[in-house]
Amino acid sequence: MANQKKKKKRKSSFQRRQNRLGYLFMAPWIIGFIVFAFIPFFMTFYLSFTDVKQDINGFNITFAGIKNYREAFFVNPDFTINLGSSLAMIIPYTVIIVIMSFILAMMLNSIQKGKSLFRTIYFLPVVVLSGPVMYQLMDLTTEAEGQTSKLEYTFVVRMIASYSQDIADVLVSLFENLSTILWFTGIPIVLFINGLQKINPSMFEAARIDSATSWQILWKIIIPIIRPTALIVTIFTIVQLGAMDKINAVLDQIQQMTSNTAGGLGYAAALSWIYSIIILAIIGLAVLLFRERKTKIKHYIWG
Amino acid sequence: MAKKIGKLTIYFLLVCIGYIYLEPLIKMVSMAIMSSDDIIDPAVEWIARKPTFDNFKIAASVLKVKKSMITSLVFSASIAVLQTIVSAMTGYALSRFKFSGKKFWFTMILFTFIMPVTVLMIPRLMIFVGIRTVFGIQLLGTPIPQALMAVLGQGINGTILILIFWNFFNMIPYTLDEAAMIDGAGPFRVFYHIAVRLSLSTVLIVFLLAFVWNWNETYQAATYLGGKLELMPLKLASFDAVFNSESASAGGDLKLNEAYKMAATLISIAPLLILYAFVQKQFIQGIENTGITGE
Repeated sequence: MANQKKKKKRKSSFQRRQNRLGYLFMAPWIIGFIVFAFIPFFMTFYLSFTDVKQDINGFNITFAGIKNYREAFFVNPDFTINLGSSLAMIIPYTVIIVIMSFILAMMLNSIQKGKSLFRTIYFLPVVVLSGPVMYQLMDLTTEAEGQTSKLEYTFVVRMIASYSQDIADVLVSLFENLSTILWFTGIPIVLFINGLQKINPSMFEAARIDSATSWQILWKIIIPIIRPTALIVTIFTIVQLGAMDKINAVLDQIQQMTSNTAGGLGYAAALSWIYSIIILAIIGLAVLLFRERKTKIKHYIWG
Repeated sequence: MAKKIGKLTIYFLLVCIGYIYLEPLIKMVSMAIMSSDDIIDPAVEWIARKPTFDNFKIAASVLKVKKSMITSLVFSASIAVLQTIVSAMTGYALSRFKFSGKKFWFTMILFTFIMPVTVLMIPRLMIFVGIRTVFGIQLLGTPIPQALMAVLGQGINGTILILIFWNFFNMIPYTLDEAAMIDGAGPFRVFYHIAVRLSLSTVLIVFLLAFVWNWNETYQAATYLGGKLELMPLKLASFDAVFNSESASAGGDLKLNEAYKMAATLISIAPLLILYAFVQKQFIQGIENTGITGE
């Protein structure tokens, strides 16, 4: 009995040491998290329901109810327009980036010679990727193509435009900015290649012996295994695009309102809160889309 | 035979896509040396008829290149150093110690990555304005806010940097730590002499990534600095406006065109391109080493 008690005590002193050291090394991060992330997160939520006025004595915060939200959605049209254009950038870009980087990773994974050279080229944009650079380059494509691009006269685009001008516009801008969109695939490609290399080659062999075609291998082996990686890539891409200023209209609007501390901080808080919730919702949607469907896997095993 | 054709098709596609990747850069170089006649001449697409390097001179003077280059270098490098130290410590804590609440903090580290930084900006800004009103110290407009956040682990993409260290420290056998502890080394000595010394390549990788990300980050920099510190990307962001106003005050015979813009863009990314030419392997390794693709 006494022995047991002693043992328990020794274990707990070890545990205490682990706790102490763990928190010692984590301390800077935890303090930073609480001061610069945790409190601000809820603070913004609170501020979005207030009017913030700055005067000599500091900030003067008065409760304003849902005034800021009403202004964002119903009174001032700027926000909804900017939000629309930002989302029309983030969603299609993410889809293209994830699919393109997967295809490129598959292609890079299937070759031996020159692999590192291609990888170097595809990764290059990562180091130069910044809002202002992207902005200058996108500016270049729109100006070089003239007011109306040649693409807008192609049959397919006109067909789509007759149905919906908005969709046609999005499509045209996607094709015009293809290079700049591809610039975001640098990190996703590396992540995908990393994921692909971890697939056990004997699985392909087994599938081949069972006379599976490459197409079946792709859909029944590679894609289910790569799904977690695809989720990470999708989240990463959404985060990256969501924080890329200068080409993200909402972000620019919020930035302008934030730097103007004299007034309107409450409104800016409401806007950034709405925007962040939407970004988080898109990420949540991606998680739902890529989550593992356990029932289906069972079906493959037992059925 | 069919396999060979397949391989060739893949190479062909890779080369084509490689071209699409590099096209903006190639275009940048080709336009940056065009004279203003070449720019408006529709017959000139890629190769300038009258190549000129004056664009670089003008762009450099608008960007105030010497000053902003040095400021940017010092700023990004020092913040990157701080970020590297903190992420090494955090990664070490997560990899070595079994403290209570570890899972929770790990989730929070991942969560800070997803959290759009926009939503945190206003209260952060208010903290620094508050410091000014209470203590009378003006922090906004100086690099201190960003340095402070870097020291406290809230720098740009801090999560990725922590994950790189965490993953690497997991590979170092714990017996080494134990051996050092038996020899009487304290926790910080173990951390420095075992973990950090063994992972110098990782330290370099993390530093480089942090450097590049801090260099390229403009959203927070613009808000905290308010244009008081002349960083290269911020100068590029305001290039169009500054160019127009300077040209107007100089008599207005210079018109802003793509040649100047591209020359400016090229100047602003030149240090990064040079860096990449030397250490591209480390960059790619860094992303591979995050281990977020599942081990």
